[in-house]
Amino acid sequence: MTKNEYLAELLNGLKSNDIADAEDIVGEYEQHFAFKMADGFSEEEISAKLGDPAALAAQFERSADAGNFYGKKFMTVFGLVFSDIFAAVIFIMLFAWEAIMAAFALASATVAVCLFGGLNIYMLLPPIPYWCGAVFGLSFASLAVLTAIGCVYFAVFVRQLTRSYGRFRSNALSSAYGRAVLPSLAVYPKLPAKINRRIRLAALIALTVFAVSFVLGIIISMLSSGALGFWHEWGWFGYAK
Amino acid sequence: MNTQFKKGVLELCVLSLLKKRDCYGYEISEYLSGHIDIADGTVYPILRKLKSDGLLTTYLEEESGGPPRKYYSLTETGRETYEKDRNEYLNFARTVETLLEDDKNDKE
Repeated sequence: MTKNEYLAELLNGLKSNDIADAEDIVGEYEQHFAFKMADGFSEEEISAKLGDPAALAAQFERSADAGNFYGKKFMTVFGLVFSDIFAAVIFIMLFAWEAIMAAFALASATVAVCLFGGLNIYMLLPPIPYWCGAVFGLSFASLAVLTAIGCVYFAVFVRQLTRSYGRFRSNALSSAYGRAVLPSLAVYPKLPAKINRRIRLAALIALTVFAVSFVLGIIISMLSSGALGFWHEWGWFGYAK
Repeated sequence: MNTQFKKGVLELCVLSLLKKRDCYGYEISEYLSGHIDIADGTVYPILRKLKSDGLLTTYLEEESGGPPRKYYSLTETGRETYEKDRNEYLNFARTVETLLEDDKNDKE
């Protein structure tokens, strides 16, 4: 008997004996074939050693808690629908936050480029002497780097969270159907220690550069305008000088 | 031998193997058919019965380059049942052995 004939006959036998999860049982025999075939046995030899499929099908007992089984299935599916609605809301918020961070990083980078290049598209930036602007440009550039790092890390985190939730769902269904479950996945991404260290270092450098250049920008702006409120001096925010 | 009796003994053998470590179905089948003359396929109904009796649980373990393997593991009930049944069986086997030995001595 070939593997396919054997498995088909087994499945038939199980179904006619009304055994729950016949596919799961057949899957186990399929794996047996796979292991034996890897050891170099032919399909016929393996079938013969396994024993008559009809006789084997008769050895399986009907699940005693068949009644209870359907209630459990129903409760699990019902519960998962609710948890899916809840999770959908959370995931929408997480994706929105990801989009906000990406937009912020992009905007900061654009402002930095404009300040460095002395560009003032549509006069959107307030008037500022070039060198004061360049120092602020550095702080915007580091802010862009910082948010971009945050963006990438957050994307990895959301991906892991999605996978973890997916695993939780499939495990909940498997256990309700009496099937074996896979180990659950961690909520936080497990990045290699080296990459973790690098991300932390890059974020720390970006944060330091941001803080230093921002404070420095304010100081040299005060000095070059000769006033504490340099924004009044340069007529920002609608203050006419 | 009486199939019902043989089945009970096989259950005990499966429990004793799983007491040592968690195994996947094929390992258990190879182990048993290596020691006892049974059809390879007999193990799977036994595993399923032990699981539905609550003596075993299953979990999947991801394998590199292959489908996940289904491992069987002894539950607390399984452990207790094994210890109890093991002692019962050994006492029974010892008694049977003494009786059969007696028979041999009589003949001599």
